Formats: sequence, structure tokens, C-alpha cells
Amino acid sequence: MTGDHERFDELAVGWALHALEPDDEAEFGRHLPGCARCAETVAETTEVMAGMAADLPPAEPSAGLRSRLREAVAGTAQESGPVPAPVADRPAAPAALPSPRRSRALRLALVAAAVAAVVGLGVWNVVLGADRRELETTVAQQREVVAALLTPGEATVATLDGDGGPVATVVARADRLQVVTHGLAVNDAGSTTYVLWGLGQDGPKALGTFDVEQSQMGLRTVGSEATGLDEFPQYGISIEPGQEAPSAPTDVVATGQVTS
Amino acid sequence: MGAVTSPVRGPDDAAGDADVMRRIRAGDRDAVDDLYERFRRPAFALARRIIADDTLAEDVLQEVFLSVWRDPAAFDRARGSVASWLLAVVHHKAVDAVRREESQRRRQAQAEEERALDEPTATRDVEDEAWSRVVADQVRTAMGTLSAPQREALTLAYYGGYTQREVAALTGTPLGTVKTRMLAGMRRLKQELGGAAGSGGLGSAPSSEESQR
Repeated sequence: MTGDHERFDELAVGWALHALEPDDEAEFGRHLPGCARCAETVAETTEVMAGMAADLPPAEPSAGLRSRLREAVAGTAQESGPVPAPVADRPAAPAALPSPRRSRALRLALVAAAVAAVVGLGVWNVVLGADRRELETTVAQQREVVAALLTPGEATVATLDGDGGPVATVVARADRLQVVTHGLAVNDAGSTTYVLWGLGQDGPKALGTFDVEQSQMGLRTVGSEATGLDEFPQYGISIEPGQEAPSAPTDVVATGQVTS
Repeated sequence: MGAVTSPVRGPDDAAGDADVMRRIRAGDRDAVDDLYERFRRPAFALARRIIADDTLAEDVLQEVFLSVWRDPAAFDRARGSVASWLLAVVHHKAVDAVRREESQRRRQAQAEEERALDEPTATRDVEDEAWSRVVADQVRTAMGTLSAPQREALTLAYYGGYTQREVAALTGTPLGTVKTRMLAGMRRLKQELGGAAGSGGLGSAPSSEESQR
């Protein structure tokens, strides 16, 4: 196992040292987000590098630098929220690993999606005054949804908005594509179907169909074909007559961008 | 994110560093001053070693500390201690700077630069530097356990800011061998410097080149 991975171990060390050639850097940049071992190797190398920095002749910057820095800080606003830094301004490789950033942002996005869904459900329950058994079913369902959302591993999340706000969340993983519906109208499964679309450069691509049988939140696995995590920057949902996806969407009910 | 025991900072320092980062994240401008106080010397020592120009090295420091203020969350996205992260950012930006200044710097007489670098620009602050002296000794000893080619490859990359292909050209070695040497050397250093046994590529069985010392 380590033998197969030796090449990436080498690249990880070169990446941390900022010493890779452009081709290697591009290749490793693609590999790193999905590889816990490499993230760890980069961290370990970074720690050793800090040790190497300790073995240097001590040096003191000029007193003027402190005041220049203070001035610069006074005149600079902090970036707030999940605004991605411009590529040119990306901090050091170990500082801006796509991997931890992505997974952390992703976890937050998934938690947010789960919370939003659960909160929406709570309101629904209060309004309808569901009886105890219904409530139990609901709780079980939401537990299932939350568990599915928080399954470890890489995923891409897109919240899709309809006319009145978010109605569905798309969670794309390497091996499956799921939709959490939390505001889509129940459709007549006999004569219509919802279709999930990937919206990329080549126009909309139908990814799968599903039905909404209840207005409660529900989790559906859509389509059998793996789409990959990064294939589409946007997703959309349309309602279509019949049981199958047409070549292009006719009545789009929700769209949204990938948030992570 | 597993806690990484840092070989370069004492435990009190490391906790204090993390606290300063929290304050920066909370929008406290004074905390940038504190971070600067903590790291200005090792950061400057590293930047000027790579760039061999005090003015440019100070520019790099300003850029680094300002970037920490602007986007402190970058630290959360990394792993490990504040010290190793910050010094890695300094390293990265210093290497970028030196690659921009390539022609000016590298053509100049290396001997002259090396001599200048051996002269500290400030007197050593004894109490403050006690810990780093201990670390420096450990690192020097660890570097001494590397094979000469491993040491050369890592020294050129880390302190010199050269890419792997440049190291290969400078040492008349195939690129693949340079990559292998850097990995083997890093594994050796990790082993010598201790720290928690990790699950990364440096904790693996030593590769064959390590026995060639």
C-alpha cells in the first residue's frame, strides 16, 4: 500500500517545500483534496521545515517594520465569511490545503443543510399538530436524513431555491447523487416526474428522476450514474410530464449553485 | 485535525500562539502586533536566508502578517501548530519573492552574501532564545544524520528556494532521484526530531536510500 503511494509521498514533500514543477504541482493539487495520508504528510513536512527554520542565525527586522505593519493592518479590512481568496493571493501551500478547507466548509454546509431541513420540519410539525406516532416517524426520518448528510467522505452541496426560498438540497458524492427535498410540492407520480439537472458548460444534463410523495422532508437517491464531485457548478430541478426526463427541462422549479 | 506536537515551540508558547490567532480571528488588530512580537525573529531569519536581501525580506514579512490579519481562517484550513503554519507561509512567500528577483540575486557573489548572513543584525536576546537554541542544536544534529546528497537536496530546496528540477540541475542528479532523496531525508528528520508518530507518508518504513549514508 505504501509502495503504491510512494510517488505521492514524494510529491507531498515537494509540495510542502514549494519545490514542485508546475506539472507535478497541478497533479498533486488534484490528488491532495481526497487523500488524508497526503494531508498528513504535508503537515508532518511543514513541522520539520519549522525545525529547519530554527537553525538559522538569529536576526531582527528593523524597528520601522512594526509600525509599517501596524499602519497596513489599520487600513485593511478582514475578509469575512466564506469568501474564497483570489488564487494569486493564496497563502502557502500548507496553509491553504484545498483538502482541509474543502472538508471543513463542506461539513459546515452539510450541518447547515441538515439544520435548515430539521428546523423547517419542526415548524411544519407545530403547524399541523402532528400526533405522536407521526412525530416519531418524522423524527426517525429526519435522523436518517441527517445521518445520510453527515456521512463522512467528500461531497458537493448545492441548495436549490424555488420561488419562495430553498426547496431542495443536492448532495453529490463520488458514488451517489442525493436530493433532500424540503419544500417541493407533491407531484402526481402517475403523470409527472421531477428531474434533477446538472447545469454545466454543455447545457443542462438530466441526472435522474424522482417523485415527491409527501411535503415532509425526504431524502432521495437520484440516478445510478456517478457524476463526480466537480462536474457541475449548478443544479436545477424541473417538473416534467410523463415518467422520463426530456432532453431539455421544460418547467424549472428550482436552481442553485454549489456552495462548497 | 489531530493536534501536532510541535518540535519548535514550547507548550506554553504554542498555547499562547493559538490564543493570539483566536483574537485575530475575532477582529482584534492589536493581536497582530502580538503575533508579530512572537514570530518576527524566526520569520525574518528565514526570509532573509532565502532572499538574501533585508529590505525584500521585510516586505515579505509585512505581506505575511498582513495576510494573516486579512484571512486568519487560512490557519484553520491548515493543520498543525501556529508556528509551523506561519513559518511555512513565510517560506512560501519568500520563495515566491526570490523567484521574482531571481536574476538579481542569484548572479551575485554567493560568498559575499553568505558572509553577511553570518553576522547577526541584532544581538542575541539570551533568555528569549534559550528554547530556540536547544531546537537549533537538535536540528543540526538531525541534519547531520542525513546522507550528504539528502542534506544537499533539502538544503537547496528549503533554504535556497530552488525547485526540484533546479536542484537536479545544480547537483547533476536525475529529477526522480532528487524527489526520492527529499522524501527519504524528510523521513529521517521526522524520525530524529521526534514528535507524535503520524499517519502520514513520513512515518512509513524508511526507504532504501536512507541506508546509503
